[in-house]
Amino acid sequence: MGLFDFAEVGFNVDNGFLEGLTRGFKNGVLCKEDYRHLTQCDSLEDLKLHLQSTTYGNFLANEPSPLTVAVIDDRLREKLVVEFQFLRNHAYKELATFLDFIKYSYMIDNIILLITGTLRQRQLSELLPKCHPLGIFDQMETVTIANSTADLYNAILVDSPLAPFFKDCISEEDLDEVNIEVIRNTLYKAYLEAFYDWCEGCGGATAEVMCEILGFEADRRSFIITINSFGTELSKEDRAKLYPRRGKLYPDGLTELARADDYESVKRVAEHYTEYRKLFDGTGVGIGEKTLEDKFFEHEVTMNVNSFMQQFQYGVFYSFVKLREQECRNVIWISECIAQRHRSKIDSYIPIF
Amino acid sequence: MGSLFRSEQMCLAQLYLQSEAAFACVSKLGELGLVSFTDLNPNVNAFQRKFVNDVRRCDEMERKLRFLERELKKDQIGVYDNGDNPPAPAPREMIELEAKFEKLENDMKEINTNQEALKKNFLELTEMKQILMKAQHFFEEMDRFDTTEDEALIDPNTPQTVAAAGKLGFVAGVILRSKLPSFERVLWRACRGNVFLRHAEIEMALEDPVTGDVVNKSVFIIFFQGDQLRNRVQKICEGFMTSLYPVPEMPPEGLHNLEMNVTSKIQDLQLVLNQTEDHRHLVLTQVALNIRVWFIKVRKIKAIYHTLNLFNVNIAEKCLIAQCWCPTNDLGKIQDALRYGTEVSGSSVASILQQVTTEEQPPTYNRTNMFTESFQGIIDAFGVSTYQEVNPAPFTIITFPFLFAVMFGDFGHGLLMLVFGLVLVIREKFYLAQKSADSEIWDMIFGGRYMILFMGFFSMYTGFLYNECFSRSFNVFGSSWNVSAMNFDAVTLGNASALDLDPVTPGVYRGYPDNYINGSGYPYPYGMDPIWQSAENKITFQNSYKMKSSIVLGFAQMLFGLTLALYNHIYFKDRLSIICEWIPQMIFIWCIVGYLCVIILFKWITWKDPASAPSLLIGLINMFMFTAPSKADGTFLYTGQSTVQIFVVLMIVFCLPWMLLAKPAVIYYRRRQKANRSQRNYNLAGGEMADDVPIIEQDQLDVESNSIQQTEPDPDEKDFSEIMILQIIHTIEFSLNCISHTASYLRLWALSLAHSELSEVLWTMVMHIGLSMAPPAGPIVTYAVFWFFAVLTVGILLVMEGLSAFLHALRLHWVEFQSKFYKGQGYAFLPFSFESIIQGRVDE
Repeated sequence: MGLFDFAEVGFNVDNGFLEGLTRGFKNGVLCKEDYRHLTQCDSLEDLKLHLQSTTYGNFLANEPSPLTVAVIDDRLREKLVVEFQFLRNHAYKELATFLDFIKYSYMIDNIILLITGTLRQRQLSELLPKCHPLGIFDQMETVTIANSTADLYNAILVDSPLAPFFKDCISEEDLDEVNIEVIRNTLYKAYLEAFYDWCEGCGGATAEVMCEILGFEADRRSFIITINSFGTELSKEDRAKLYPRRGKLYPDGLTELARADDYESVKRVAEHYTEYRKLFDGTGVGIGEKTLEDKFFEHEVTMNVNSFMQQFQYGVFYSFVKLREQECRNVIWISECIAQRHRSKIDSYIPIF
Repeated sequence: MGSLFRSEQMCLAQLYLQSEAAFACVSKLGELGLVSFTDLNPNVNAFQRKFVNDVRRCDEMERKLRFLERELKKDQIGVYDNGDNPPAPAPREMIELEAKFEKLENDMKEINTNQEALKKNFLELTEMKQILMKAQHFFEEMDRFDTTEDEALIDPNTPQTVAAAGKLGFVAGVILRSKLPSFERVLWRACRGNVFLRHAEIEMALEDPVTGDVVNKSVFIIFFQGDQLRNRVQKICEGFMTSLYPVPEMPPEGLHNLEMNVTSKIQDLQLVLNQTEDHRHLVLTQVALNIRVWFIKVRKIKAIYHTLNLFNVNIAEKCLIAQCWCPTNDLGKIQDALRYGTEVSGSSVASILQQVTTEEQPPTYNRTNMFTESFQGIIDAFGVSTYQEVNPAPFTIITFPFLFAVMFGDFGHGLLMLVFGLVLVIREKFYLAQKSADSEIWDMIFGGRYMILFMGFFSMYTGFLYNECFSRSFNVFGSSWNVSAMNFDAVTLGNASALDLDPVTPGVYRGYPDNYINGSGYPYPYGMDPIWQSAENKITFQNSYKMKSSIVLGFAQMLFGLTLALYNHIYFKDRLSIICEWIPQMIFIWCIVGYLCVIILFKWITWKDPASAPSLLIGLINMFMFTAPSKADGTFLYTGQSTVQIFVVLMIVFCLPWMLLAKPAVIYYRRRQKANRSQRNYNLAGGEMADDVPIIEQDQLDVESNSIQQTEPDPDEKDFSEIMILQIIHTIEFSLNCISHTASYLRLWALSLAHSELSEVLWTMVMHIGLSMAPPAGPIVTYAVFWFFAVLTVGILLVMEGLSAFLHALRLHWVEFQSKFYKGQGYAFLPFSFESIIQGRVDE
């Protein structure tokens, strides 16, 4: 960033409308008060009634009773997708690229879902509705014909936007469950690194906000990969290859993580970083305690909320999508608790505002 | 005028409704649309209220109706509208309605599934037919290709090629046209180029059976070799959601027969499809007849239950307690409605309406009709008037179009506008019945039709005064200037492009009574003398005239606004404000602007000699500098001017502290006294509590009122420093505004100048060209140029200039006029009315 870096001056010319719109959308995100009301609901019909008084409005009005959680899930997702597609369709130049980057993560998820499903002999027609609509692309459905990663790349993904991320995981190996996890993580690593570098290249407030968020995302993946790898056949060298090399842990933390053998040693690595120490402190699975995953989510939400404090940057779009997603998870969690009459854990959602 | 001058008197009332009569009563009140209910359970969640289940049932019914409406739209069947407004059905009828809708929805769904299945079948057959048609074509081509190739490549050494080609397998199907390119590419890559794809577009658009959308598709046929490739190809086809059809390998004639077969099947299916279509249409036409009425009924029920949810439920007494604002004048009507509701429901106990006294500020309710609506609208757009303060709307009806017209003054343009307004007003019923509500701009123009009518009328009036019609003048009464009296000789007349007319020369200007020649002279009787139209110094003359008249008009309007403030003070019995604010304000504005207006008028009326006319501007500046007026610098107007002016300036200076300090001082003094008094009372009560009963009561009352004041701080009881600051702001604002607002009224002159200049430019640059040409070209060019002139006149002068004059008139009313008296801190009365709910003007 030079002294005469005026990138922000022209921001509103191309992106002002969409930024304003996104901030408006963000104001519609449910607040603590709303959640308090939602958790008091006795049935999904009550939930629907309360959601009517929020910005969700009549989004469930055309659903015949009785409501199911699946229907709510679909409609919530649909709303996010409609909003996102609107943003994407009106986006211009860099913002379009940025929004596409957001979409790539859903594409990765969809590909992995399809491959796993095919391995388990599921029908394509059964799998497709489960794919996230944001991650749908033309060649996606044909993923099922691939038998090896090389196949997957050469025949299908080479045309898709995911091709550049895939270069690292081409091998002639057959696709099996472990391999798929490795592919997913390698893809994600490549994706995160590319996204991070792109944001850094943008400079200005975008770099400031997004590098922080994406860096955290990278670190979170490294932690989770390490913890999940205990007790599997994944070797330490292979594991180290999966860590996204961005964020605060890179490079020292990652080297240490690569040597970790158990949860305690992971925790010791986290001790070196103030932000992460807080997250590892006091986690557990008992009632009243929060899981590490929830703590990570909470931290993510805070970061995303903070991203709205900065003006003239693309971070708001990313944060909005993530916050909406978290909101969907919350509403679904509450709906599930209501539907299954399992109220003791109903408060375990992650409030946003 | 009564209710338009001040907003309706409102009262807070409590209704005690028997639970069985509540529905009928609320329904009747909804038809009446005169009460606005307040929420008595603001702390209760939406889903914890009493009638939430009924609301839900209504939601469900609405959903079904919406479903039916969608189906109607899909088939493009118009909804029958006979303008009926059915009353809300009784709760027990709801079950009937529910059952009816349920049945209709199920019927409709069944028909839809049947139709969908049939359509799917139909689509498949059509696609099959297309494939067969194209396949024949492909095969024929292949054959031709083969034979030509055979001839060229026949080589006894390679018999395998022919044999291998014979074993080619193929798959035929249909794919969405948009997916074809990526399909082709994936196919190529996945099979490493070992397949051969042919495709052809299906010319006719096909209908998607599920969504009913029209889609374009292509037929493709893929040739390949071997089973492994077949698997791959099939998987890819599946991935791209293509539909594959088995095409038997047979000679073209066989395919042709098959095609015929399929065609006849399609025809059969078409018959069945038509029948289902007819059935569906029948059901839907029945729905179309009633759906509007059903919608209204359901919405009414829903609105009633929503309202009932606002009520307080008293379980012990089996009654609902409601609280509402209503106009005091209409209490009788409301009582009637309640009585009627009770009767209808057969309840034995009457519903009771009881007025409640409250400290709360009532809502503002101005009854409007079609005519006053738009004028009230521009007032409300600025701010809803405080309860019962003077409503500027009735005055706006005249002043708004007038000020607009001052800026827009042109007889011709005004006439066009008047005609447009007239058309809207005369055909009002027709447009209202159309209620096409699709365009916001149209709604706005139509809503302001009476305003447009008036603006047009007033523009004609001012246009007549300015003597301008499309920038030309009429010589109605005969100009009072006489050129021949100047006795110019032929040479002067021949050479000069412009000549001076000297009004002092006898006989040239016949305006002065003492200059009459043979008593025949008179000034131009009404409006502007047409001779100015051709004068070189027209603009200079008109500027000075319009500028001054703007100030006079502005002062008149501000003075009027200030007078209305007096009405407010008297009505609210605010004597303090009259003495300490209103009187000094009145003196101030008279001294500072009023004096200017007086000397303007004085100069107009008395000055005859153009050569020695005084300069008002310099005179005004000198006045504030205490420089004595003198004939030398042209500031002398009348004898004794110096004394009067010194007095005026001193008055201005004197008013300032009066406005600033008097009111806070009185308030301060009163508060001190009050504090002393209550202190004394308290002491008194403490001393004589033992035997003097009445005093105790008095004291208790006092204490009570004190405690009330402490718990609920009176809005008027502000902190003293706050009062002082507000007073300072008010004083500064008022005194500065007297000057800035007067200057602001100069926009009247500026815009009218702009308008007349623009229209003159348009005339001389466009219309004049055609008119100045000699025949035969003249008439033709005039005709061509006229359209150009007409379009520009309407587009620029009427629409754009009209909008800008409108905007400025709006500002003059909102800021310059209303700031003198209008607080606009009320909130609007939104009655619970079925009419507005059904028209969708109110959210639930």
